[in-house]
Amino acid sequence: MAGPWPDADSVARFLLSLSVRLALAMTAAVVIERAVSAVLWARREYIQNRYSPLAHRALSADSEALRRLADIPARHRLSVARPLLESLIDDRDPALIVSTRAVVDALSIIPIADRYLRSWLWWRRAVALRALGVLQLRHYTAAGVAALDDPHPDVRAAALDALTYMQDVASLGALVVRLHDPSLQPARRLASLAAFGSQCEEFLLELSEFDVVHLANYAQALAICGTRRSRPVLARWTQDARPEVRAAAFDAFAHVGVDHEGARLAIAALENGDEAVRAMAASALNGWTASSEAATHLARHLDDAWPVAVRAARSLRSMGDTGMIELHARAARPDLVGRLARQTLSTVGAAC
Amino acid sequence: MLTASATSALVAFSVTVIVYFALWSATQIAMSPIALLFLGRHRVRHRRHVRALAAHLVSPPLVSVIVPSYNEALTIVGSVRALLALDYTPREVIVVNDGSSDDTLAVLQEAFHLVSAAAAFAQPLKTAAVRGMYRSTSDPALIVLDKENGGSKSDAVNAGFNAAAGTLVLSIDADTLLEPDALSRAVIPFLEDASTVAVGGNIAISNGCSVEKGRITSVALPRSWLARFQIIEYMRAFLLFRLACAAGNGVVLISGAFGLFRREAVIAVGGYDRAAIGEDMDLTMRLQRHFRGRREPIRIAFDPYPLGWTQAPEDWRSLRSQRYRWRRGLLQVLWRHREVLGRPRFGVVGLAVIPYILVFEGLGPLLEITGYCVTAGAALLGLLNWQMLGIVTAVSVLFGAAVTMLSVLMSDVATHRYMGGRDLVLLIAIALLESCGYRQLNAWWGCVGTAQALRGPATWGVIKRRAFEEQ
Repeated sequence: MAGPWPDADSVARFLLSLSVRLALAMTAAVVIERAVSAVLWARREYIQNRYSPLAHRALSADSEALRRLADIPARHRLSVARPLLESLIDDRDPALIVSTRAVVDALSIIPIADRYLRSWLWWRRAVALRALGVLQLRHYTAAGVAALDDPHPDVRAAALDALTYMQDVASLGALVVRLHDPSLQPARRLASLAAFGSQCEEFLLELSEFDVVHLANYAQALAICGTRRSRPVLARWTQDARPEVRAAAFDAFAHVGVDHEGARLAIAALENGDEAVRAMAASALNGWTASSEAATHLARHLDDAWPVAVRAARSLRSMGDTGMIELHARAARPDLVGRLARQTLSTVGAAC
Repeated sequence: MLTASATSALVAFSVTVIVYFALWSATQIAMSPIALLFLGRHRVRHRRHVRALAAHLVSPPLVSVIVPSYNEALTIVGSVRALLALDYTPREVIVVNDGSSDDTLAVLQEAFHLVSAAAAFAQPLKTAAVRGMYRSTSDPALIVLDKENGGSKSDAVNAGFNAAAGTLVLSIDADTLLEPDALSRAVIPFLEDASTVAVGGNIAISNGCSVEKGRITSVALPRSWLARFQIIEYMRAFLLFRLACAAGNGVVLISGAFGLFRREAVIAVGGYDRAAIGEDMDLTMRLQRHFRGRREPIRIAFDPYPLGWTQAPEDWRSLRSQRYRWRRGLLQVLWRHREVLGRPRFGVVGLAVIPYILVFEGLGPLLEITGYCVTAGAALLGLLNWQMLGIVTAVSVLFGAAVTMLSVLMSDVATHRYMGGRDLVLLIAIALLESCGYRQLNAWWGCVGTAQALRGPATWGVIKRRAFEEQ
């Protein structure tokens, strides 16, 4: 064929050659991947079989085992340390952390982790942060806090994990300040605060005084780590103009527990026009037994919107005899209210 | 004159087919690195740390697992036992007995000591009437809803959504077997990203595997060639196209065999559509349209590690029935959501994913069967270049095999299944043999399914199930 176009025959032969090569290359890639996996697996097994008895003796404070671990080849050390570090993810026993730290120290892993922290490969930075975190090496808290601003999202997540594991109060301020940071994963932010428990409360209350924009987030955090000390502030937030703040404040009350003032506000909020606020107000009265007035008001909301009704029923269940009386009074009804009352009563035993 | 016209038509058709094939090849090649990178990132993330996240939360989200069940007496007890042993808490399991005519409810009552309970829940989604609700005295996390048959799986799942107390709802098939950590893994995207509305999981085929007490205990290739072909089909579908879609946040199908949803999002779009044939794809598309249409952030995630195992049909009749249904479902979804096509407002879904599905999955079988007919006609008229036909056939088979081996590679990276030497030889054989009859048959079924779709609504068809212990 004349002109710039190749003839059909040569195109076909080119495509045939290309497809043969592609098929062979893909098959070779599968074979190579499987071979590499098999070799790595065998190596891991070999190292585990050879050194794990020694590592376990070292965990039991056997100084001879610790000394021998220090002499194992450098190329095997990460493989020996890895399962020990992984076991700390689920088992946070302080004694185990201390003994694992000693073993990891003997294996000279810390300098490797330190080097990895500055690696340009994001997964190395993430691995190093989590390793240092599970070991609770608190002199690396600053590195963990700095990594909250890492450009890679998985490293920032690892930094939150590390700070959660470390539970170093020195990082608390940084974590609370980042409560609204959208670049950090929301569940991890809350998990990191949960790890500190009520230690966060003071920071949260102080910051909320100057940051009224994010009151809903502070209320959400207080629902995790607030105590009775937060009640006056929460009571104030239940009067906020924004329904999401009011709802979050009542939700926090449900966890902190209401006092007389909180109960009064929650009962009043049961008549609020916003469904979420009514639902959370019903939740806030969970376990409130100091007055029978609350049960009467809650019972009226068993035929409210479903989220309100369910929470009202649960709160009634938690109120002991006063709540039970209201539920029994409605259990005979043939409608949804009756079914909800019967269902709630049937779960009383399970709840106990 | 006639011969000249036929030759011109043949050349024009050949050029069309070659351009189509080149485009398809280009998309496969373009998808591969995207999918591989996505898989690589998943692999290097430390899964144990990631899964530990839920344990660190003061109140991890309650997950309601919905098991729609219609005449599943053979498999339901094993499935429910496995679900009750999932390693994630808090969770509840809601079995919806959709008016079964077999002993589904009776075997459940006997196995789990069910007692009648008040059925109190709001019904934001309309369903057939609920006859009763049962709770298990042996496991408080189990609820059984007994309802009138609603004529579709969608109706049963919607009833489960109504009854669900969880903020997250897992919808599975009654014959789906889940990995013990499936739920704790699937929950993670919801915890990591507040805009996540759904998570799909990689579904693998359980045929050939050993199953004990609702758990896969050893993985092997099945003896049936029909099931073997479906294994590589699933690998390609889940580990190439869907991974590439997930990498670009363009997932348009959360399989009905495993889909974890934010309950309020599903309620907002009206739940599963009872009239939809491909109800799972239809729901996913409605979620995409709902959120993208309002310019609200949406993420539909996909976990490349197998979360669930499902039975593939091993007889031709069941497979044909399934493929007809899939085809009708696909065309129905494409027609229903045609306004998404090419609209920048719907992002990658409108600009890339739906056009890809329309061109390569919608038109593919029609073009393929037309190609075979034209080839046969050309041979009869003596116009066929046999050497060229041989080359084109070889290119098609080899390129198809290359794509299949790529998905096998990705499956290896993700899960290390079928790793024996014999398995590898078999997988290569399957990749080559798939193009020698099975693919053509699928294309033919695709054409018949298209004709059925044009004729109007049809029934679901019946797929023969076996108890897992038989495998």
